Amino acid sequence: MPLIDDLTAELARLPGIGRKTALRLTYHLLKRPADEVRRLARALESVAERVRPCTVCGNLTEQQPCALCGNPRRDPTLICVVEESSDIGAIERTGEYRGLYHVLGGRLSPLEGIGPDELNLRSLLPRLGGADAGTGATAGAPGVIREVIVATNPSVEGEATAVYLQQLVRPLGVRVTRLARGLPVGGDLEYADGVTIAEALAGRREL
Amino acid sequence: MTVAPTSAAFRELRLRQFRNFAELDLRLPPAGVAIIGDNGAGKTNLLEALYYLEIFRSFRGAPDERLVRFGEDGFFARAAVDGASGASEVAVGFERRGRRKRVSVNGAPPERLGDALGSVGAVVFSPSDVALVAGSPAERRRFLDIVLSLNRPGYLPALQRYRHALRNRNALLRTGASPALLLAWESGLLESGGRVMAMRAEWALLAGAGFSRRYEAISQGQSARLAYAPSVPQAGELVDAAQAAELLRGALARVAVRERDRGVTLVGPHRDDLALLVHRAGEDRDLRDYGSGGQQRTAAIALRMVEAETIRQARGREPVVLLDDVFAELDPGRSRRILELLEEEEPGQAILTAPKQSDLEVRRGSLPHWRIEDGKVLA
Repeated sequence: MPLIDDLTAELARLPGIGRKTALRLTYHLLKRPADEVRRLARALESVAERVRPCTVCGNLTEQQPCALCGNPRRDPTLICVVEESSDIGAIERTGEYRGLYHVLGGRLSPLEGIGPDELNLRSLLPRLGGADAGTGATAGAPGVIREVIVATNPSVEGEATAVYLQQLVRPLGVRVTRLARGLPVGGDLEYADGVTIAEALAGRREL
Repeated sequence: MTVAPTSAAFRELRLRQFRNFAELDLRLPPAGVAIIGDNGAGKTNLLEALYYLEIFRSFRGAPDERLVRFGEDGFFARAAVDGASGASEVAVGFERRGRRKRVSVNGAPPERLGDALGSVGAVVFSPSDVALVAGSPAERRRFLDIVLSLNRPGYLPALQRYRHALRNRNALLRTGASPALLLAWESGLLESGGRVMAMRAEWALLAGAGFSRRYEAISQGQSARLAYAPSVPQAGELVDAAQAAELLRGALARVAVRERDRGVTLVGPHRDDLALLVHRAGEDRDLRDYGSGGQQRTAAIALRMVEAETIRQARGREPVVLLDDVFAELDPGRSRRILELLEEEEPGQAILTAPKQSDLEVRRGSLPHWRIEDGKVLA
């Protein structure tokens, strides 16, 4: 049954889905009403056709620029740099941040062949009033951005990416900050892992 | 007066399809046991299984696949223990297919494998330990890494971060990346590398006296010493992690040009060594190059005793000592003095192996003697 095999093979390519799960999903879909399956197919088709990176910040969106970049009530003097679009959701859910974003689309990882050229850095510098790495042209509104908050993951790669960004941004006279590391709120010290506690100790604050 | 620390111990061991053991269920006496058997009967395999539950890999450096009994799909090992950090049961299963390893401590999988390391508190003495002294610096780094990972909180995560940053930095150096990119990777390298170096330096300073004392006792008056030999100059002094990171930064700057030519990181903890020196005719000589076979074996045993000391100090319990035919190739005088030293200093559970009964006088011969034959233990 090549059609069933095709679908199974496609599903098995998704992250976290192995051959067995792919088979189960396939047979599950085959048992559902055809309408429901079409709805899924349409949803997949529409995201593939209509969702694109925002030309300003790189966030995934159906409109250009994205709803965040186009929102006049957001603070245009702050840019928070994240690795992936999905990170924006996490920060937005806090309701604590009112600035803009910039999505890198990954992090530096020489072992995987990911260097600065593979990241969405080209459009970041013009936003800060710096020269475009490629064209040398200056774009955006220079001097508007006061602070860049680097919110890459606290992994070795995320840290290296943050340091690299800092080197790029600081010469432009823009303040660069990094998210703090420490204990999860509402957690028990007893259950926090050793590395996190060590980080929290190193970053302790005066009371 | 200090209260004598309690002892770590293996109480029960269950093996399934591990090396030449199809099924093995043992109840181990608190004081320990002497296991006698011919070559190939499984003596070392048994100690390998016990210590596997401490570090979740073979102390002989064998890949997990090779620990599976011939023709089987996987192995399982479980021990009921009085663990040095409160563990009462440690278990591990390995499946050849998918090379999956499942570890559990007290019935639950640890959050990270690193959390389960050293749950028992044990030291292996093996004839192959001579490579610690006679072998390459990599052998001594491996020794340091295992001792510190098991006994210094934060060492293993720092080492893992260092290695990860190092691999990335080497990839950059190979491709001739820009200085700005290299600099981006440097901070992670310095921060983790500084911690690794500071912990190695501190351990070597603490362990040095114990090493010299034991070496002298075994060799009757010959003196030897142990010192951290970092690839970064001055990092062997007692420094904190931030100072060590600064020293590493300076050392990297000095070799920057050569690194670009060679395409590889030339200084750092990955190039460290542990110097083992014997004092003779007014000068220190490297035991690796100038030590006799007996001196090298003596130094290896002294190092293992220092490892036991580290466990005792870090976890407040007597470690289990696993002695694998250690007296092979040592002259009778040295063997006797090592036994005396072990009697004095290692009151914990002792599990030892030998090919013949006469070799076993640990605990003044009070340990029960078991025979091992073709993967079966006859108590």
